Amino acid sequence: MNFFKKYTLLILTAVGLLAALIFYSLNIPHNRNANVIERWVITVFEPIMKPFYQLSLLGEGVVDNYLDLVNVRRENLHLRADIKALNSRVIAAEEACQENRRLTRLLDVKNTIKEPTLTATIIGEDLSPWFGTLVIDRGTSSGIAEGMSVVAADGVVGQVVKVARTSSRVLLLTDHSSGIAATIQRSRARGVVKGKGDGLCQLEFTTREEDVKVGDMVVSSGIGGVFLKGLPIGEVTMVKRGEYGIFQTVTIHPSVNIAHLEDVLVVLRNGND
Amino acid sequence: MTKWGATVIAIVAAVVLQSSVLPIYIASPFKPDLLLVFVVFLALRVSFTAGASMSWGLGLVKDVFSGLYLGLNALSFLLIFMVIKHISDRLYTGSAPLFVIAVSIATLSCVSIDMLLLVMFTASPGIAYSMSVGLVPHLLVNAFVASLVPLIPGFDRLLEAE
Repeated sequence: MNFFKKYTLLILTAVGLLAALIFYSLNIPHNRNANVIERWVITVFEPIMKPFYQLSLLGEGVVDNYLDLVNVRRENLHLRADIKALNSRVIAAEEACQENRRLTRLLDVKNTIKEPTLTATIIGEDLSPWFGTLVIDRGTSSGIAEGMSVVAADGVVGQVVKVARTSSRVLLLTDHSSGIAATIQRSRARGVVKGKGDGLCQLEFTTREEDVKVGDMVVSSGIGGVFLKGLPIGEVTMVKRGEYGIFQTVTIHPSVNIAHLEDVLVVLRNGND
Repeated sequence: MTKWGATVIAIVAAVVLQSSVLPIYIASPFKPDLLLVFVVFLALRVSFTAGASMSWGLGLVKDVFSGLYLGLNALSFLLIFMVIKHISDRLYTGSAPLFVIAVSIATLSCVSIDMLLLVMFTASPGIAYSMSVGLVPHLLVNAFVASLVPLIPGFDRLLEAE
């Protein structure tokens, strides 16, 4: 008895280990099937594990979403910067396309003019609302002189009146002081196109007997030598023949849209040449 | 920056704004006359000798960039300066409404003087009609610009500094 008392713990430990070993060895053939203990433990823990697991999933979702949001904000800022850069490129490309179209049209006109020409860009307008002049970025250093004619892709713009070294002022055909010898393209009736203000012109000194109709095209006659013959000036929008008087009143809408003019051609031929 | 440096910068800015920037955004009849507003400001601000020569010079600058007749606006600006300067001692020049009224009267006078000179001395048929038609919008725009000038910080101080 004393022996058992003395070695109780050791014996119990050995028995326990042996029982565990036997239990283990008995379960080896059935290692893929849950036994009673396993099923019971699983059944007990399942309702506790489930909400905790789902809560963990929720927590994970919150953390992930927060991290995603941080990333999304960073990505958003990055994309906004990209959009800005791309937008400016698109605008620049569109501007280049439009410039290309304008210059191509101007080049077509340049090829039809037999005299040497020079391309110029408009850099300013008249300070007063009642005078019609433009400032271009070419002057005496580019060979420009007073009296040279200025044309655009759609037709006559005006005449160079004041020249500095690197810029010049162009008197528009719509200015009250402007006068261009012109012809009605269809009937060859002659007159002088004078500026009327308000962006319009008037064909003066055309006698009542001359054949002028609304819609007729007015072109430069070449008389005077400033403007080349046949350049489009505008279209007749109104014809008025009074009961008395020698001349008829003819209003012309210029071919060139002066408000949106950007590039022009200066014909390098002075009227005095 | 010296006073004269600031004045030159203001004049250059006014010319560039009126010639190359504003025409892109606003229709022709609504072009303000910033130099005329400047002349009215000078008439209320600087001495007769300096102001008269500056007004004439500003008119010349305007003529260089406007129309065909050098000296036209120089004369009208000088006349406007002299008249306003003559009566400015009797006015409370720090008043914003008075500045707007002064600019409006100056605009009316400038257009009238220009019209008279153009009709009398140049061959510009129809210019009187164009100027008459454009007078009201021009007057309104100048009055609007004049109403903004007193909002510039230190407007009162500048007027009293004389």
